[in-house]
Amino acid sequence: MKRFWALAVLALGLALGQGDKLKACFIYVGPIGDAGWTYAHDLGRKKAEAALPWLETRYVESVPEAQALPVIDRFVREGCQVIFATSFGYMEGVLEGAKKYPNVIFAHATGVKRAPNVATYMADFYQVYYLNGLAAGALSKTGKIGYVAAFPIPEVKRHINAFTLGVRAVNPNAQVLVRWINAWYDPAKAREATEALLAQGADVFAFTEDTPTVIQTAAKKGAYSFGHYTPMLKFAPDHVVSGQIVHWDVIYIDFLKKVKEGVYTAKNLQNVDYFWLLQHKAVEMGADYGVPINPKHVTLLQKAQMTVGGKKVSVYDHILALVKDMSSPKPTFDPFTGPIRDRKGVVRIPAGKKATLEELLTMEWAAAGVVGDWPGEPK
Amino acid sequence: MEEALVRAVLFGTPILLASLGALLAERGGVVNLGVEGIMALSALAAFAAAMAGGVGLGVLAGVGTGAVLGAFLGLFAVSLRANQFVAGLALAALGLGASGLLGKRYEGVPLPNPLPEEGLALLALALAALLHLLLYRTRFGLYLRSVGENPRAADLFGVSVDGVRHLALFLGGGLMGLAGAYLSLAYRPSWTDGMTAGLGWVAIALVILAAWQPLRAVLGAYLFGLLFFLQFRLQGSVPIPSEAFAAMPYLLVILVLALSGRTRAPKALGIPFERGR
Repeated sequence: MKRFWALAVLALGLALGQGDKLKACFIYVGPIGDAGWTYAHDLGRKKAEAALPWLETRYVESVPEAQALPVIDRFVREGCQVIFATSFGYMEGVLEGAKKYPNVIFAHATGVKRAPNVATYMADFYQVYYLNGLAAGALSKTGKIGYVAAFPIPEVKRHINAFTLGVRAVNPNAQVLVRWINAWYDPAKAREATEALLAQGADVFAFTEDTPTVIQTAAKKGAYSFGHYTPMLKFAPDHVVSGQIVHWDVIYIDFLKKVKEGVYTAKNLQNVDYFWLLQHKAVEMGADYGVPINPKHVTLLQKAQMTVGGKKVSVYDHILALVKDMSSPKPTFDPFTGPIRDRKGVVRIPAGKKATLEELLTMEWAAAGVVGDWPGEPK
Repeated sequence: MEEALVRAVLFGTPILLASLGALLAERGGVVNLGVEGIMALSALAAFAAAMAGGVGLGVLAGVGTGAVLGAFLGLFAVSLRANQFVAGLALAALGLGASGLLGKRYEGVPLPNPLPEEGLALLALALAALLHLLLYRTRFGLYLRSVGENPRAADLFGVSVDGVRHLALFLGGGLMGLAGAYLSLAYRPSWTDGMTAGLGWVAIALVILAAWQPLRAVLGAYLFGLLFFLQFRLQGSVPIPSEAFAAMPYLLVILVLALSGRTRAPKALGIPFERGR
């Protein structure tokens, strides 16, 4: 009988403990093992759970974009208080679900539509692409830099432009040769696009798609490359110079803390939009975590010179100075600071002005130095 | 242009291998629609084995897995006389799903010592020639073709229809397994879920376009490889949108092979054989 009471108390304790927990649930578009987008979100979820003892999480992976609502229904039945939808295509499902369940808090990654109980969030890489562009410009001997890109959408165009601005800041004559593969995930297309760029003389590579194919292919021919999304140094330890790395956990922890503290409710999210950058530590420049530049390439970048404000400086020093500046609470530098003309000569950002968030999110023009097809290019 | 020809062969190779595997079975009258799943599981098996014991073991594991899966399809499509199309599609889905599930621990890991593509490309070419000889110069080839054209007659002459079909699926599966191994050990030396990305379906289509002839499959696979590469090589230098370019390999291969002669499927293709009916 004693044992029974002990067990009963324990069970009650567990049940109460459970009740205290905030339940956050994640909808993933891909498998968590994709080594890219979904993998990174899941890493963020795990880190948030480890950091917040009062947090309990669940997830469903490989949810087709049209199937968000049934998953939301299920999550709500299971008692989820916060639902993170991690793909752009979940937008309609999320907005519908938010109407249906006005007391549940939703957050939609890369989304552009909000509601009283729907916030949007994004960890953006444009600053990091600019920094990698500086290194690429310094390392290219042929003056041709290859860029394998998924889809011609504003997000990818913004990244190519930022990268190209960086390249041209070091080498004003360099070209960034862009090839669209029209897929987020297609190793064969990424491979052959890289081969095509190698055949055209590109000797440094960057990309926006979800595989390390570009890195492996470029390394075979001795070409440098920059990783994307997750640390990719291990795929070519001698050739990956740096890259873009995401930290979704930073956003997840901040958001969930504010929910727990009652700062965010299901009534006040209409204007809550995270567009987090280096200064928020949501993104990182690096070949690997904590390795901004591959030590094997530091000397090369130290020797390379560029002109900043009329003075000669080493590219390496300039990159580190900008990382420091843009990682500080009040950055003074931004890659999209005018005067910036597009490749047709049209002024896109006037002298002294900085691109607004709206301009960044709707960017269609191509920076000077971009070579290749550019669907949707403004006249 | 030289690099374009190299790419034609190196990217054409996995498609050629898988296509030869499907062709072998189809000449015996069995459609194997499981190519995509067989390639995916073989690619995973090859990668896992290569991580444990080197690329040699990896190739063996890939070929072995493919062959076993080919035989597995035979169990349903030949012995149990199930609908070949349904059984094949089920195998494709099963292979893709199972490889994704089993392969989680290999995601995001590079293969330290990849296999050179050139060696496998030569091997694939040799296998195509060998398959041609097998089909038209050997007794087994005669049996295979007769089983594919008129299994009743072959049966009357004492040929084991089921036996020949089982063997064709087994060997064909091995070729598909080699295609999978090529992907994960040489072409893109790593494993990721879904890395076959539709190449298995291209291989199936190529069998028809190649009129069930191994040497024409070589031509078709290389042509596809060439055009696939050229869509990126020429993107931006000719005023055609990239989306239209992406459709080019498929359209042109169909056009070229359609214009290059009549095609006729093996008469008994897709029909389960039952003695005495």
